[in-house]
Amino acid sequence: MNDSAWIVDTDIHPYIDPQRVADFLPQPWRRRVQSGNAGPGHLGYWNPNGVRRNDIFAPDDSPEKGKRVDADAATMVKHHLDRFALSHGILNADLINVGLSPETDFACAFMSGVNEAIVTDWFAVSPRILASIHVTPTDPQHAAAEIRRWAAHPQFVQVLMPSGSRTAYGSRLYHSIYAAAEECGLPVAIHPGTEGLGVSGVPTAAGYPSNYLEWHTGLVGSYLAHLISLISEGVFVKFPKLKFVMIEGGVSWLVPVLWRFDKNWKALRQLSPWLIHPPSHYAYEHILLTTQPIEEPENPQQLQTLLAMMPIEKMLMFSSDYPHWDGDTPDFVGRHIPAAHRQKVLRDTAWALYRLDERTKNIDTNHTAKSIQNPKSKIQNPYVPISNHELE
Amino acid sequence: MSLYQITSLNELPPGARKLVTVAGKAIGVFNVNGQIVAVQNICPHELAPICVGRVDGTTLESQPGQMIWGRDGEILACPWHGWEFDLLTGQCLTDRRRLRQFEVKIVDETIFIAVYS
Repeated sequence: MNDSAWIVDTDIHPYIDPQRVADFLPQPWRRRVQSGNAGPGHLGYWNPNGVRRNDIFAPDDSPEKGKRVDADAATMVKHHLDRFALSHGILNADLINVGLSPETDFACAFMSGVNEAIVTDWFAVSPRILASIHVTPTDPQHAAAEIRRWAAHPQFVQVLMPSGSRTAYGSRLYHSIYAAAEECGLPVAIHPGTEGLGVSGVPTAAGYPSNYLEWHTGLVGSYLAHLISLISEGVFVKFPKLKFVMIEGGVSWLVPVLWRFDKNWKALRQLSPWLIHPPSHYAYEHILLTTQPIEEPENPQQLQTLLAMMPIEKMLMFSSDYPHWDGDTPDFVGRHIPAAHRQKVLRDTAWALYRLDERTKNIDTNHTAKSIQNPKSKIQNPYVPISNHELE
Repeated sequence: MSLYQITSLNELPPGARKLVTVAGKAIGVFNVNGQIVAVQNICPHELAPICVGRVDGTTLESQPGQMIWGRDGEILACPWHGWEFDLLTGQCLTDRRRLRQFEVKIVDETIFIAVYS
């Protein structure tokens, strides 16, 4: 490993072929997937650039030339983790969308299969590869069992649910998931992209958008609804140790929404009498956000002003979203983060949340470099140009 | 400034591209419907190797509900984030940033580009 690897990437999308998941499925689901039906796909919104970026292949001057970086663990370690100075990366499979299938038995079996494929094909290759436990929120009992099944594995670091949902996630329907996660010391995370799929509601509160640009921009809508629901319904009062990670939902919307929430709470507190603090208090204690896609206002200072309004030093974590089309590199994100908080955002907050000290002791650390035990305290520019490019 | 020989016109027909490194700079040379252009292989957004991206047309400015395809072969889209750039001017279609262009000279069917080293 690159000795200077020290950043934690909280959102990587491995390509996992549904046919590989089929290998781990009981019948009749194996036969079903092998016959070509892997459940709800997507609504079909067209991204002209493709959802996965075009250069996902290892460079021509490497021994892995032509291999997909996102489809093979060793290639990913070398050409994503090493290349961008990442000590660890957390895998979130796009196949989480199957969790919204109306065919609940199939959805549950498939999510278990995804987790098994990750253990077999990815964890076994490198201890630097971590992942979420993929669960089916439409069957909270199965989800809770799946959490307890994998919680002891040091490379499973959180629980992942799709942000498309039948009902907002504060509902007590889901509390058995949170009980299991809190008991196991795992954060719960959501990831966008499933809005409108399977049994989830329409993709926006206003109905069906007409193209991918509209749909993708509006994904933040479900984040807003989940945030309000989680706090209002007392999830963090009932589960005081629970942390909730909102992956890829954006950053800049949070503060103004919390202003509105706090103002309403002052008048309407009696509807949520368990909230003894303003809603923003619970958000800043329990919610974490990931950086990508970091907003890019024409005047970059405006983002700085916004970041100064929230405790980013404890609630914002770097994510690349590799290899999706709107991913960010660590140095691009790092330049947007005030120097005083940069190391926390790029590494320390994720390191603490996911208890990586403890986990690196529990996994075979043959692969881990000394830099993980002795993290560099000074930021370096981790961007490694593809060849001898220079910026002019 | 020095002139660097890239290839011949025969070897770079319309629609073709050639990636070269000249004076330490990675550069893409494109034949855009008969016009040869050269741009630095760095996207000004997040430094991606833009010259491996898709070259295509795009939808032209139009009225709501109208889709008018045009500019075939003139638009280079970044392989990372899809930002579109006009190969003829270097200008991004959606941002003020632009590609670094290099002067192209054609002498006796041979393509040269001018680079300050």
